[in-house]
Amino acid sequence: MLASRAFSLVGKRALSTSICLRAHGHAGVVKAEDFSLPAYVDRRDVPLPEVAFVRDLSAQQKALKEKEKASWTALSIDEKVELYRIKFNETYAEMNKGTNEWKTVLGGVLFFLGVTGLILIWQKHFMYGPIPHTFSDEWVSAQTKRMLDMRVNPVEGISSQWDYEKNEWKK
Amino acid sequence: LARGMQHTAVRQAHRKHEPTFHDKYGNLVLLGGAAVFTTVWGYVLTQLGMQWGLSPVGRVTPTEWRE
Repeated sequence: MLASRAFSLVGKRALSTSICLRAHGHAGVVKAEDFSLPAYVDRRDVPLPEVAFVRDLSAQQKALKEKEKASWTALSIDEKVELYRIKFNETYAEMNKGTNEWKTVLGGVLFFLGVTGLILIWQKHFMYGPIPHTFSDEWVSAQTKRMLDMRVNPVEGISSQWDYEKNEWKK
Repeated sequence: LARGMQHTAVRQAHRKHEPTFHDKYGNLVLLGGAAVFTTVWGYVLTQLGMQWGLSPVGRVTPTEWRE
């Protein structure tokens, strides 16, 4: 009994598919979406794209395509260009042409770096306390002499930069 | 044909490409951004009174510290 129930369900599915077929009217094929069809592309490494650029030709263009079937010497320059433009979107020259995008990019980058500077201004004004007295010129110069007298970092550091004979910074 | 055009002028019969945002405003954005940058950072680096902790080497003249 269960088996027969299962079978009838299968039969029901077949029935519903045939109803769908009737509903669509023709071969039961769903209309192909644009993205599933071969596409035109402007790429340097694809010199002959799968389809022509212009899909639906105007009456004028159709007439031109008919003329193309005859001798090509009969075609004018403008007609040849028009035939080219039917088949292709951009020329290689147009494809390869540089842009001015870098100006916008660089300008934008500099602008937002400037905004970062504004953040620093805000911090100095609203957040940081006063600078400690140990950064005053008198203190720093005395501190520097004390470091040199102690021979702090004599190999490659600060004392190595001081000329103890001449009493000045090394050139 | 149009393909081989490197020396001949491109026939702009129906291909007048619209100027992009970058064509119209690129120079303005570039210069404006540079101006903002130099103004703000010029101020921050010199006028704001930040302690940058620069090296004393070549800059500071040592003075006596012993009392």
